[in-house]
Amino acid sequence: MKRLSPTRLGIAVFAVGLLLYPLVFTNPFYLDIGVTFLLAAISASAWNIVGGYAGQISVGHSMFFGLGAYAPLLFYQLLGWPPMAGIPIGIAASVVLAIIIGMPTFRLTGHYFSMATIAVAELIRIFTGTWDFVGAAIGLQGPATARGWWDLTFRGETPYYYIFLGVLAALLFITHTIERRRFGYYLRAIKARERAARSLGVPVLQIKMQALMLSAIFTSLAGSLYAIKTGFIDPESGFGILVSVQMVIIAALGGAGTLFGPVFGALILIPLQSATNTWFGGGGSGLTYILYGGIIVLIARFEPGGLFELWHRVIAKYRSRRDAA
Amino acid sequence: MLLEARDVSKSFGSFRAVAGANLFIEEGEIVGLIGPNGAGKSTFFNCLAGDMPVTTGQIIFDGHDITRASPEAHARIGIGRTFQLPATFEDMTVLENVMVGAFLRYPHRDDAREHARKIIELTGLAAHASNWARSLGTPGRKRLEIARVLASKPRLMLLDESLAGLTPAELRDAISLVKRIHEMGITLVIVEHIMEVIMTLTRRVLVFNQGHVIASGKPEDVVRDPAVIAAYLGHGHVPRRG
Repeated sequence: MKRLSPTRLGIAVFAVGLLLYPLVFTNPFYLDIGVTFLLAAISASAWNIVGGYAGQISVGHSMFFGLGAYAPLLFYQLLGWPPMAGIPIGIAASVVLAIIIGMPTFRLTGHYFSMATIAVAELIRIFTGTWDFVGAAIGLQGPATARGWWDLTFRGETPYYYIFLGVLAALLFITHTIERRRFGYYLRAIKARERAARSLGVPVLQIKMQALMLSAIFTSLAGSLYAIKTGFIDPESGFGILVSVQMVIIAALGGAGTLFGPVFGALILIPLQSATNTWFGGGGSGLTYILYGGIIVLIARFEPGGLFELWHRVIAKYRSRRDAA
Repeated sequence: MLLEARDVSKSFGSFRAVAGANLFIEEGEIVGLIGPNGAGKSTFFNCLAGDMPVTTGQIIFDGHDITRASPEAHARIGIGRTFQLPATFEDMTVLENVMVGAFLRYPHRDDAREHARKIIELTGLAAHASNWARSLGTPGRKRLEIARVLASKPRLMLLDESLAGLTPAELRDAISLVKRIHEMGITLVIVEHIMEVIMTLTRRVLVFNQGHVIASGKPEDVVRDPAVIAAYLGHGHVPRRG
């Protein structure tokens, strides 16, 4: 029988652990951490497609997250639609926005794309905060009690947990499929050396656009799931800079451009965030920034490839020692 | 005629890097571009590869006007290039690097991998197929660049100092690799400073100086040209055919 590699074995154990988590940790506090972890993993994995694989660093992905978050609750408030019905509208808006930003900036070399994403996300946040139609600074609310299953408003966290887990599994499957196809190879080539990739016939603009649109679709979906679960959205929690930075940090911490890196990063960062929030309560409201800053410094200094690369190095070292013995 | 570059000029502001260069290449030729540093040969080379838009002039490849075509379009039509400083994809394996080139003609992964393996075998990189590109030394990277371009099935290959910085033994291997590529029916344009390479491989040479083509013809005639000796080779150069 073929032996499982340590990485595959670790992933299999982790997957079983994720499936069983709500059955073992029934306490709402721990369930909430589980749901938050899954949402962060979805967002960071979505960011990873364009930021990690293609190396196009977006620092304003909250624009897609926010559009996805606002659409379900806006259509619920305006028309009484089930929030779920707003999901495709949020996705469509995000794709249009991705095209508007990507088409001009991806033609340029340098950091124009990164700068454009920050600028647009901040503009949308400020604009949303002053526009009464979308609730201005107060934001929007979803249904307080479920009118039916289609409202996706549940009393406990467990149904959300399994919905989010399903979305994460689908996203990882799609990403894995991309990795194995020409598209995935082209993304990595663009990230490594765009000029060389072009000289080999890689349609760079087209590939970057496709990556950004796919990334926007799943980031928007993450935003929708967040808004439907919390039943509330305001400019800061939808379009805030911290939303974007969290995606970048999680992907970079775990390993940007790897399939499981963002999941690994979320697994470390989300419990850490919950712990600092619990320890310091309201007095530690600025601590998140310090935590993020510290993580950026540590990754940049000691492990630019993220913890997943460190894991691969450890396994490689273990194997070479075993083979030598 | 496979490639026609007519009256090509390239200016950067008021500086004219290439001034009215002409190059006509028949299918199956090997042509060398030589000249001192800053002579304009690399700029001309980049114009041929679609990496730099020409200021004036026209470039025709196999009857198609490619003067304003993108580098991607150049690759699709059958023009491949290497870079002076090897531009390998460092975080990909040698096989994956070559597969990126192969995907141009073989969209499916298995087909691309099979073709890439053949090219890797041909270019002597088989032992390194699963190694990271970053683990290779300069000769290996230069060879990998050639392999990557070869995998895209070019009709014309532009080699930008692909044989520079090699030891004599590595140089002999590289020259024999270029000869093998030529035997496959691929036309070659070589920018090179090593005269041994030019004298051994090429049948026609263009000499650049200060943006102008100051001489062109057979290598053995060009190296005796007083203008070339004055501008590039110096009086101590001994002409020798490999």
